[in-house]
Amino acid sequence: MSPVCLIARDEWRALLRNRAGLLASGLLVLLVLVASFTSLERRAAIEADRERYQASVDEQFDQQPDRHPHRMVHYGQFVFRPIAPLAFFDTGVDSYTGNTIFLEGHRQNSANFAEARQSSLLMRFGQLTPAFVLQTLAPLLLIFLGFASISRERERGTLRLMAAQGVAARQVMLGKLLAHGVIALIIGLPAFLVLSGFAATGAAGWATVLPMIAGYAAWLLLWAVLSVVVSGLFHRSRDALAILIGVWMVGVILLPRVLPVMAEQRTQLDTNIETEIALHRKLADIGDSHDPEDPYFNDFREQVLDEYGVESIEDLPVQYAGLVSIEGERLTTGIYADSAARSSARENAQNALVHDFSIISPLIAIRQLSMTLAGSDLASHYDFLQQTEAFRYNFVQRLNRMQAELIPGIGGEDPRISAEYWQEIPRFHYQAPSPFSRPSDLIWPAAVLLGWLVALSALAAWASNRLERNLR
Amino acid sequence: MSPLRAETRLFLRSGRNLFAVILLLVLASAAVWSGLAQVDAQRTTIERVEREQARDLASVEAAQAGPEGDAGYNAYYAFMLTQDPPPALAFAAIGQRDLQPFVLRVRALGLEAQRYDSENYNAELALPGVFDWAFVLVYLAPLVIIALAHDMVTGEREAGRLRLLLSLPGSGLWRRRIGLRYVLVLAALAAPLMTGSVIAGAPATGTAGIILAGALYCAFWFGLALLIGAALRASATAAAAMIGCWIVLTLVIPTLGNTVIAGAIPAGKGIDLTLAQREAVHKGWDIPKEETFEPFFVNHPEWRGKEKFEGRFHWKWYYAMHQVGDETVEQEVADYRGALAARDKWTSRLGLILPGVGTMNVVHRLADTDSTAGFAYQDSIAAYHERLRKFYYPYMFNDKAFTRADFAQIPRYTSRVPGGSIPAGSLVALLLAAALFLWLGARKVTRVSSAQDSRPKDD
Repeated sequence: MSPVCLIARDEWRALLRNRAGLLASGLLVLLVLVASFTSLERRAAIEADRERYQASVDEQFDQQPDRHPHRMVHYGQFVFRPIAPLAFFDTGVDSYTGNTIFLEGHRQNSANFAEARQSSLLMRFGQLTPAFVLQTLAPLLLIFLGFASISRERERGTLRLMAAQGVAARQVMLGKLLAHGVIALIIGLPAFLVLSGFAATGAAGWATVLPMIAGYAAWLLLWAVLSVVVSGLFHRSRDALAILIGVWMVGVILLPRVLPVMAEQRTQLDTNIETEIALHRKLADIGDSHDPEDPYFNDFREQVLDEYGVESIEDLPVQYAGLVSIEGERLTTGIYADSAARSSARENAQNALVHDFSIISPLIAIRQLSMTLAGSDLASHYDFLQQTEAFRYNFVQRLNRMQAELIPGIGGEDPRISAEYWQEIPRFHYQAPSPFSRPSDLIWPAAVLLGWLVALSALAAWASNRLERNLR
Repeated sequence: MSPLRAETRLFLRSGRNLFAVILLLVLASAAVWSGLAQVDAQRTTIERVEREQARDLASVEAAQAGPEGDAGYNAYYAFMLTQDPPPALAFAAIGQRDLQPFVLRVRALGLEAQRYDSENYNAELALPGVFDWAFVLVYLAPLVIIALAHDMVTGEREAGRLRLLLSLPGSGLWRRRIGLRYVLVLAALAAPLMTGSVIAGAPATGTAGIILAGALYCAFWFGLALLIGAALRASATAAAAMIGCWIVLTLVIPTLGNTVIAGAIPAGKGIDLTLAQREAVHKGWDIPKEETFEPFFVNHPEWRGKEKFEGRFHWKWYYAMHQVGDETVEQEVADYRGALAARDKWTSRLGLILPGVGTMNVVHRLADTDSTAGFAYQDSIAAYHERLRKFYYPYMFNDKAFTRADFAQIPRYTSRVPGGSIPAGSLVALLLAAALFLWLGARKVTRVSSAQDSRPKDD
């Protein structure tokens, strides 16, 4: 057996004797399993709730009586965002975004009832998901298992003994890296098995599960390598431990919280109130459909009359007010789309600043990679908002067209159209976006994780050279 | 040289100790600065919204209020602003203020369709949690304490000085050592907080309360560090065991607790009540007008007899319909609030046994940025909404024109008075935890002393 393998085997033996280490590893595995099962259950409950709500509001829509179509524009439709299958593994921003929106005419409502708003402060300690355990806690375990790997040998003098027997420091380093790399993967194994099992049942595609496993494997390896390398750089185990804990504290706990403050200072978001007010002002600038002298709507009227080849509104085969509603909805929707685009551009700018720092804090990289693959990232939420907005525009205009085309044939004090028409109005069907539709959201974090591994390997080579020199 | 001065010199000679205390000071100062900046940004946002709102109201006034003015139209278009400015101590503990809206516009239409609207926030930035003084206290200060205190006993043993130290005459060695470290940690935490309080003009009692909570929390950690440090033989093992405690107490149990509480107390009633309210309001268009007015008169008998009108539409009927919609879902609203309050109550209970959570609760209650504060803002919005619609009813039921003079009379929302309070129960629990662990730690250390540690040194 090569010295590298012997050293690795020796390290495993030593770790097996370390009762505290075994206990901690066992607890972490238990935690991953508890997190997986509670999170799976939670996801199933959320999915069932949202499906039930969606079915019940769709049914209620069908059951509305004969009405003026404009009443239905304001009765509106509620839509619920289905939760992504892998969101059990990484809840991402799902608990922080509203997952139900009320869609009606002329207004763009906010997505409401975010879980975070309904929770106490406890929520801010984090949410127990396998992703939380792997991202936050597993690195600490790897630090505890690895901080003494080389420095212990040095403190006990066994390193010198090995050197005397002709073992190169490079081989020691490789052996320890092998030992702790394998341990990192074993620690990730329960989570990887849960993911694979989930994929095997067909609940999620292998195309997303495999990169997810690869990403977390890289993340765990990164900490194992870091622990061994730092252990090789310091004479005393205690110093190595202090440095590693410091790196963890800054990279995993501190920076992810500090960076958002910086991002918010640099780019500020408008409130919904300001957006609403600006919208009304812009609409007022375009024109007032009730004002007979209004230039914009006079042009619109002329255009309509030309189109139908008639002289006056009374001669139109359709209801003019209905056409004005269609035009009004077109204008409001355009203005809303502009402000939504501006708002998401600002949020993206804020997040881009945070993502840039993933070079220093690779937690940000694994978090982004994981959320994106799980379909619980912010981009997926935007996608949902865009789908709902497109749907809203579509169904409101359908109702407006019904008003224009059907009301003239009914007339009377209280014109209503038959409830059967509500069946023709489309229902919301959410199309889950593919995580690969925005490759940069995956490539960049993956590159950061790989870059860290490469840089740490170089550092390992340098550390073993230094070790070699010290031993001669 | 007095023993304390000697101890101080010893402490300062250690680079690691000095570094840990300075790091804590820097972090606490950065957190206070960041908290002040975030609070300032919230104030600026409120001012910006107020300016826009004033312009918007002016245009509504121009369009709707006049000799021919109709109160119903005005009430429909005049959104009124409510705002919840950050309390003076919010900088220390921002709590849920980054998620909960602190500005909301309401009009005299059904409240339940308006009050749960969210404001614009970046969910990805909110995800890791806020960076403020409370975070430094609850998460980071224990790590600094661990760095300072984990090897007080084991370090001496490893250096071979323990027997010598124990044989020295006089007592109070550990008391001096712990006391010195405790005072320095507390100073590093409290000095930035007090500076921030002065800048923010925060009340001294609230600041003192927060510092007291911090002092008790730190005492708990020093006690735990003594206990573990005296029980284990090697510094590295002691450090690892303490970090393990930290992980369990600040990361694992709180997240587990959150999962259990959220699972046990569902909050789906919010959606239920919104859906039920929509049905109730829209049904109003399809039923005889009396069926709307009758339930409305139950709580508004003063308008009985004034409900008659010509034609198909009158604003008085429209607003009555919205009010009836709200009243129909009263039970669901109460249930929803009950669920949120129950989640909060169980968090408080968890805080009684978990010092980290308890400290979080105490600090945020004193700063008035917790769920209780959110409920108070919600209640003040509901009370204002009632004033607002009752202001409009006489115009509509008496068919009175709505003029500019009337417009000036529209009630304005006055922000609630920040109601930070001292959660005595949680504070006592914190005191007990601190006292218990200090006592246990002290006992353990005394045993080390009296055991006349004679075993050979090992790692």
